[in-house]
Amino acid sequence: MTLAQKGRWTTAAGLVLLAAVYVRALAFTPIERLQGPAQKIFYIHVPAAIWTETAMILVGLASLFFLFLKDPRLDSFAAASAEVGTAFATIVLTTGPIWGKPIWGTWWTWDARLTSTLFLFFLYIGYLLLRGAVADPGARARYPAVLGICGMVLVPFIHFSVYLFRTLHPMPIILKPSAPSLPGSMLATWAFSFAVFSVLYVGFVMQRYALARARQEAPHV
Amino acid sequence: MSETFPHNAGYMIAAYTVAAVILVAYAVLLYRRTRGL
Repeated sequence: MTLAQKGRWTTAAGLVLLAAVYVRALAFTPIERLQGPAQKIFYIHVPAAIWTETAMILVGLASLFFLFLKDPRLDSFAAASAEVGTAFATIVLTTGPIWGKPIWGTWWTWDARLTSTLFLFFLYIGYLLLRGAVADPGARARYPAVLGICGMVLVPFIHFSVYLFRTLHPMPIILKPSAPSLPGSMLATWAFSFAVFSVLYVGFVMQRYALARARQEAPHV
Repeated sequence: MSETFPHNAGYMIAAYTVAAVILVAYAVLLYRRTRGL
């Protein structure tokens, strides 16, 4: 079985499990008393956000090592992770405002967390556009690598922005030094969802990496 | 005693629908691009 086929099966398993996450989150997880059903957006928004940031960290690390080692597999992985990260960032930037409207009373506010996340999305888009715009294969790998490293540096700022600035965005309730501030049933749903988003990230990246490697070996693909 | 919650289930359904559409659409896109590999 090729890597692309393994990626397809992993993705298919992830999508089936995603349906199970939906059933558990919507039907078998308690409704939060103050926020109501809209709080359940958390179960897809937060895993997508964590993978948006993790994907960019992996892009940055792969890019950094690529600049030193010149291994084309690192460049292929960075390209794959960037594209998948863009898909997850799109989920974050659509589900976030849908949660914000009923809870904050507005779709969007230019606070530090939201603005920096939007900036990360534009970095992702810029990375992909740059890859498509440069014809020379060497430059096509090097130029976006610099952008990927910049994106990696931005990620800690996004995560800690809620501590550094006064923002409307809630403080972390899971990725924080103390224990998660969620009841057990809600935490279990979140953990299940995060595991499924992890499977989807792996499945997507396997396929996209296989495609990038095929293009490196035969540019006409 | 019954509890009352804010009536905002429509937003939850919209968010879950958007996320599913993005993930399934990207999966289909990747399937089409890597079909021959």
